[in-house]
Amino acid sequence: MIKHAKMMLLATCLITLTCSALAQDAPSVDEIIKKANHAAYYQGSDGRAKVKMSIKDKQGNVREREFFILRRNADDKDEEQQFYVYFNSPADVREMVFMVWKHVGKDDDRWLYLPALDAVRQIAATDKRTSFVGSTFFYEDVSGRSIEEDVHELVETTDNFYVIKNVPKNPGSVEFDSYKVYIHKTTFIPVKVEYEKGGNIYRVGEAQKVDTIDGFPTVTKNVMKDLNSGSETTIEYLKVDYNVGIPENIYTERFMRRAPRQYLN
Amino acid sequence: MPFSQRVVALGIRHPRAITASMVISALLLIAAVAIPTLLPGSLPLPPVRVDTDPENMLSRTEPVRLYHDSMKKVFDLNEIIVVGVVNDSHPEGVFNPETLRQVYELTEYAKTLRGEVIGLDDPMAGVVPMDIIAPSTVDNIEQGGPGEVKFEWLMKEPPATEEEALAVRDRAAKIPFLQGTLVSESGKALAIYLPITSKDLSYRIYSKLQKKIAEFPGAEQWHITGLPVANDTFGVEMFIQMAISAPLAMLVIFLLMLYFFRKFVLILAPMLLAVYVVVVNMGLLIVTGNTIHIMSSMIPIFIMPISILDSIHILSFFFDRYQKFKDRRKAIEHVMDTLFSAMLYTSLTSAAGFASLAITPIPPVQIFGIYVAIGIMIAWFFTMTFIPAYIMLLPERTLARFGSMISEEDDSGPDTSTRLGRLLAGAGVFTFRHARIVLVGAVLLGVVAAYGISKIQVNDNPTRWFKHSHPIRVADRVLNEHFGGTYMAYLALQPESTGPELGEYAVDLEARLRRTVDEMNLDEEPKNALLAIASLLHEKGAETQTIQELRQMLHKEADDRLNAASEALMTADPEDSVAESLVEAWEDLLLFLDMEEQRNEIFKQPEALAYLEKLQNKLLETNVVGKSNSLTDIVKTVYRELMEGNADYFTIPETARAVAQCLITFESSHRPQDLGHFVSHDFRETSLWVQLKSGNNQDMKYVTEVMDAFIAENPPPFGLKHHWFGLTYINVVWQEKMVIGMLNAFLGSFLIVLLMMTVLFRSGLWGLISMIPLTVTIALIYGVVGLMGKDYDMPVAVLSSLTLGLAVDFAIHFLSRSREYHDLKGNWEGAYPLVYGEPVRAITRNVIAVAIGFTPLLAAPLVPYNTVGFFMAGILACAGLSTLFFLPALIKVLEKLLFPQDKICRITCRCGTCVVTAVIATATVALNVQQFLDMTWTGLSLVSLVVVLASGTVCFFMSRRESCKTVSDEK
Repeated sequence: MIKHAKMMLLATCLITLTCSALAQDAPSVDEIIKKANHAAYYQGSDGRAKVKMSIKDKQGNVREREFFILRRNADDKDEEQQFYVYFNSPADVREMVFMVWKHVGKDDDRWLYLPALDAVRQIAATDKRTSFVGSTFFYEDVSGRSIEEDVHELVETTDNFYVIKNVPKNPGSVEFDSYKVYIHKTTFIPVKVEYEKGGNIYRVGEAQKVDTIDGFPTVTKNVMKDLNSGSETTIEYLKVDYNVGIPENIYTERFMRRAPRQYLN
Repeated sequence: MPFSQRVVALGIRHPRAITASMVISALLLIAAVAIPTLLPGSLPLPPVRVDTDPENMLSRTEPVRLYHDSMKKVFDLNEIIVVGVVNDSHPEGVFNPETLRQVYELTEYAKTLRGEVIGLDDPMAGVVPMDIIAPSTVDNIEQGGPGEVKFEWLMKEPPATEEEALAVRDRAAKIPFLQGTLVSESGKALAIYLPITSKDLSYRIYSKLQKKIAEFPGAEQWHITGLPVANDTFGVEMFIQMAISAPLAMLVIFLLMLYFFRKFVLILAPMLLAVYVVVVNMGLLIVTGNTIHIMSSMIPIFIMPISILDSIHILSFFFDRYQKFKDRRKAIEHVMDTLFSAMLYTSLTSAAGFASLAITPIPPVQIFGIYVAIGIMIAWFFTMTFIPAYIMLLPERTLARFGSMISEEDDSGPDTSTRLGRLLAGAGVFTFRHARIVLVGAVLLGVVAAYGISKIQVNDNPTRWFKHSHPIRVADRVLNEHFGGTYMAYLALQPESTGPELGEYAVDLEARLRRTVDEMNLDEEPKNALLAIASLLHEKGAETQTIQELRQMLHKEADDRLNAASEALMTADPEDSVAESLVEAWEDLLLFLDMEEQRNEIFKQPEALAYLEKLQNKLLETNVVGKSNSLTDIVKTVYRELMEGNADYFTIPETARAVAQCLITFESSHRPQDLGHFVSHDFRETSLWVQLKSGNNQDMKYVTEVMDAFIAENPPPFGLKHHWFGLTYINVVWQEKMVIGMLNAFLGSFLIVLLMMTVLFRSGLWGLISMIPLTVTIALIYGVVGLMGKDYDMPVAVLSSLTLGLAVDFAIHFLSRSREYHDLKGNWEGAYPLVYGEPVRAITRNVIAVAIGFTPLLAAPLVPYNTVGFFMAGILACAGLSTLFFLPALIKVLEKLLFPQDKICRITCRCGTCVVTAVIATATVALNVQQFLDMTWTGLSLVSLVVVLASGTVCFFMSRRESCKTVSDEK
């Protein structure tokens, strides 16, 4: 009995030792996730990008869309945020605007302005895992998935990456069982993400190009492949600026209907 | 030694060698088929491959198939399995928590049916989960609140309460794409559509689904249908069918022969022979790399009766004569000597009849015809050798009590000791005494048959290959009652040309540009600035080579001016509204120019969508189409929901921009890929989904005719052309090819057989007469098909060749023996009782054995086999009766013409026969040449006419030459 207890003690010590050794090497899972979330969505006080999106279908046909994203952080806790997406091309959707007020802890607010219908509509955001304008990216990929929605686990540390497995807290709200993110150790840029259902990886996102812009490591080419449909979408960030000073009042219905020209070139 | 004796001598002299060669060749072929099938890759030979796809009725390179495949790629479409559930016991039908839970569970299960789960290496093969149409996999678009649009799964999870279940129904009812497709209007039924990567996986998936459904408790009735399931299930059942029907048929024939000849050891020979021929024939078919298709699976059933025919003639004659010779060798030599030429000709004619199918444009029918023809010739050779060999191998004593004991000195004449003998003798007397009545009867029958033929309906329906009570038929009926239809066809619209010429375009562009500028309601200054661009069209437009260049030039000019205006705005007084309006004006003009780039995106233009709507309305008027889905439906639904669910907006928006913005909204759903099923990525091609309630080819054909006429009267905008594709449509195409192909094949083989008969009998008249039983039989069979209202489908079409093969056999035997006896007795009155002895008995035995032998096919669960069984009996009865009644009656009436006093029997000596032969030969050649060379009929007819005239002249002089002079001429 005594012998047993000694063994247990030893084992506990060993585990503790290992853990603390690791902790010195690497930040905690929460820390990694927070840094990655910041690196991916919250750098600078605001950001502006001209984006070219190429949607390639199974047959290899490509459709292109071009739009501007104006992002503004509404707090410094990496939580509240606003997005203004102005479509420039193709011409028939020019002046269309998609706007998001991103919240943590409750559903986002989303609006759509359709110039040809002369209508601003609120889009219910109960389900954020729908296609972003016909691409293989979801709305959630564009505005960011709240880190509160998953349970994170560091499953592997490689030379360059922390590999985090994320399991949804509410599995009914998403189409995947879990997803793995490969986070770059120094920049904390999520470089690769793999979504899995029933043991099969069916959706893979990859940052194919990272540039340092205004001192911020920035993903400038991003690809999302849907292995089920055989389609893939490439997003290229042609022009990126940080700390532009986008005023808050841009994120209103008035400016959806009348685009702020000075921020969109 | 003449050819006949040499062949027969093979068997009589080397009985063991013949038998051994048969055993060895059969074993070799069995091994050559079994080894590659059971151990794939062990031998460089093809394994057994089954092909039940009616699509393969057309060659793979057939334009309609190539088009179908290319369109399936363009629109990323798959063949579909339809699973339906009906609940009659619950007051709200299927919309109750329990049924919807089962639907949900089955959908989730169906998603897993691919890759390993269904035993395949390719993980993507099987059900395509993302394209499943089920309550839990489709999107609902509706109002979330004031000014709020909501996209969500129609049924994200099984509802917990009755109210939630009803809400699913109500939501679906508002989406035109779902109503009548996913949900029945009655609310009693719901359907799940499972797209599959390949048709030949349907049976596996079908079986898995059936098993899963069996686990569900409750009163729901589940049904599974769709053309792929029907085709694949047919293949599986076909095999079972072959394994049961063919042996059963053999057993019945065996028992009948035992009854006729009462000698087990002797009738064993034809049975062994039949098995041998079937084994060798099917072996050759497989070894040469052919697939077992619905058609080729019937080869054994066709080969067996034909290969037994000759044996029965031999045995029947041997049975009657053996006791006279009491020596098997002498008896068989006598039998073979008498029957040889008749049997050779019957085999050749039957083979020619089937071989003629090789000129049909339908590959499986070609293979079928060729292999049956090969089988017939194999059967002939071994009947000539193996049957005598077998008899020689029997010890003489086993035959001691064999055969007819009444032995008369000469030919036996009617056998009055049996009921059959007496009956046949009576028939002979009747035809002799009442020849004219018999012939009038024949003419009357002909009239009835002609009427029946005029009523024939050409139609086929692969689902109807199953019996009425088969689960697939039941599913088909039930689901088509509840839904818009489970038979899919697609109507594609594509522009024929790439666009207008540069000059024409420039003129139109200028007009559009000026109109757009006018509509902007600008002040004088910006308006003139903008219109300057229009004049640039003239100044600089001449330098551009293409429309693309022209637009780029204009775009650059406008862009430069916009930049200048923007810069002016920066420095302008903030109150200066002119500067700002100028910038806006240039922005609008650039938008106009960019929209010009998209003008070739036809299916964003409201005009094109409106035309689709018109087509859809017309389709519904046919009553065959229960539902159609198009891009227009999607646009209208999204537009309505974007306009706050107001039903007034359930229309096509007025501008292409509005359409585009509705579409991009639609694409922001869970299933953006659905758009690609309706319109190509460049918006230049569209596919209209047509759901038919019936898989009848005639219904599909009717729809295409109605639409052709409608489109001709209402020409589509943008120079669009329409084309059909989809399995239901492909069935129509092959059927039309089959009808014409079969008719040509039949005409071709009819002529070949007629030519052979003329040569055989050295007489045009005899040749024509010998064609009468088969002509009467075919007329009657197809007359009955028409009168019964039975559709002229694939098995019925093939029957004409079978008739040709069997009916001419009887005629040859009857006529050649009649001639023999006429020569012997000098007149028909003396000859006919002898003809009604042994020869007619042999014919009758054949008719009975084969007709009854194939009755087991009537019990088959697959309709094509029933049809063959039923008509096989009918054909034999008809052919037998018309041989036994019409031929003797004709001989009686035409005796003087048929048996002229001069005896010189050379074709070239009879002018009439010679000319007839030449005409038939020319026609035969012409018909075949036309099939292969695609020559025009006018050219061919001229050539043929010249050939006929030339040969007529040759005939005229040939028949008047010295050596043709007969005794009567000299007198």
